[in-house]
Amino acid sequence: MRTVFEIAQAVQTGKLTARQAVAESLGKIKELNPQINAFVETWPEEALRRADEIDARRARGEKLGPLAGVPVGIKDNILYKGHKASCCSKMLENYVAPYSATVVEKLLAADAVIVGRTNMDEFAMGSSNQTSVYGPVHNPVDFGRVPGGSSGGSAAAVAAGMVPAALGTDTGGSVRQPAAFCGVVGVKPGYGRISRYGVVAFSSSADQVGVLAADVKSAALMLETLCGRDENDSTSLEDKVPSFSQNFTPSLAGLRVGMPKGFLDDLGEEVKEKILAAADKLKDLGAQIVEVEVPHAKYSAPCYYIITSAEASSNLARFDGIRYGYADPAAQNLNDQYELDRAPFGFEVKKRIIIGSTALKAENYAECYLQAVKVRELIKRDFAKAFEKADVILTPTSPTTAFRLGEHKDNPLAVYLADLYTCQGNIGGLAGISVPCGNDGLGLPVGLQFYGPILQEEKILNAAYHFEKAL
Amino acid sequence: MRLEQDNAAQCARMAKIRLTEEETAVFQREMQELFGWVKQLAEVDVSSVEETAVSRAAYLRPDEPVCDQALSSELVNAFNGRENSCAKVKKVL
Repeated sequence: MRTVFEIAQAVQTGKLTARQAVAESLGKIKELNPQINAFVETWPEEALRRADEIDARRARGEKLGPLAGVPVGIKDNILYKGHKASCCSKMLENYVAPYSATVVEKLLAADAVIVGRTNMDEFAMGSSNQTSVYGPVHNPVDFGRVPGGSSGGSAAAVAAGMVPAALGTDTGGSVRQPAAFCGVVGVKPGYGRISRYGVVAFSSSADQVGVLAADVKSAALMLETLCGRDENDSTSLEDKVPSFSQNFTPSLAGLRVGMPKGFLDDLGEEVKEKILAAADKLKDLGAQIVEVEVPHAKYSAPCYYIITSAEASSNLARFDGIRYGYADPAAQNLNDQYELDRAPFGFEVKKRIIIGSTALKAENYAECYLQAVKVRELIKRDFAKAFEKADVILTPTSPTTAFRLGEHKDNPLAVYLADLYTCQGNIGGLAGISVPCGNDGLGLPVGLQFYGPILQEEKILNAAYHFEKAL
Repeated sequence: MRLEQDNAAQCARMAKIRLTEEETAVFQREMQELFGWVKQLAEVDVSSVEETAVSRAAYLRPDEPVCDQALSSELVNAFNGRENSCAKVKKVL
């Protein structure tokens, strides 16, 4: 499949029609989705109609948008007016979006064509795409393995060549970790860069929309289209959005790449080797490797689970059968109404709501939730200090490569630890990108992650771009 | 940490989540493990952190009510029960 850049350029210059690009994508989905299960619904007639409109506009001599004719998948927690958005949950199986998310409006304004909604962990809670009501997604590299999560459908769709790019959301690594498992690029900008309006909330202080694409330049083009202030999201930032895809520097000479002390200590040999080889490669490209310290980062994962579960318990209270969700006719009183109406939530979602409510309980609040919020602040300070010594920070994306479907079924803590390196970015509000850095002995992709300070996405895109070219 | 003394069934009731007996048993074990793991946060010295830290991203806008008739109808249409232009819900109180 052509990249986002190639398709947009070819459609803009008339070398390819939007219809051809979209038809090719729909054909791939039809052929591969039965095995991979990356898409839960496609909208072929509408997508082709929209492609024809784009082609007609070009024929009239109109200038097309930067994503002209690019077929894109959107994660099932992003609203697209008039289309179902279910968060891959039974709770919202028939929910039709009454308005479009700002990111969807931006894609459409840039002349992208949305071809369907992609599979995900239910309500974005998971790291393996095994909690979806539509069934698990299979990793295109090895059908017996998970694609990562929660944006597993988006990552698998890109890896299988069904679409050149897809939107995901990233609360603890849900864009970057599946990108690493499937061997594609996944980028999450700093918190506040992209509007969350119209994206179903999981953990409002950590959620951020991100992009999955086959290459860094395409991810950069998608990102610059999506970023920017939105009056409908008070946390979106006003700062100017650079042309990320046009601003790559000629080399990495002088770039200071920080490697956090102790980060590779408990890592498996194969992933560790790849990361060290990547550091050497960056040195060859002119970068300077420096050691940095982020001593509180080791608390990121427990901190993340307390804060995000607490926020989820509050955000998901709206699924009460009145405002949203299922209303059980058998309910006789208010207590019944709440309990019965929440029955359609899957077990993982139920667990996180309970954990979050328990962490917020008056007796636990100070020593649990408040403590986690304070530790979060210390993690942010550590990273701010580390970025005084380094322009970007290098880590593995995930401690392991893709695990088998069903593996860790009885050990959720092991799955939570898959987010170890990525959830630091959400806790710290950082920009992060995962880029492939080779394969392990089984041929499974290994992901390399660059972190940058908020509002400095250019730095991580630049580092990833040069690394990708040199690999 | 006090958290570890919490009982899965009681916590589920408090959160208004109904679990089966089997789910409760699984969750009791997982919850103990999870809270045992989270306990490490208590060892961190947080005395240098203020109780409330406002991020730069917290912008405020004037609190002015707006009315979007088209969106209102879309929202009402999304309800399971409707009567005229109102959402209809079951009386449970």
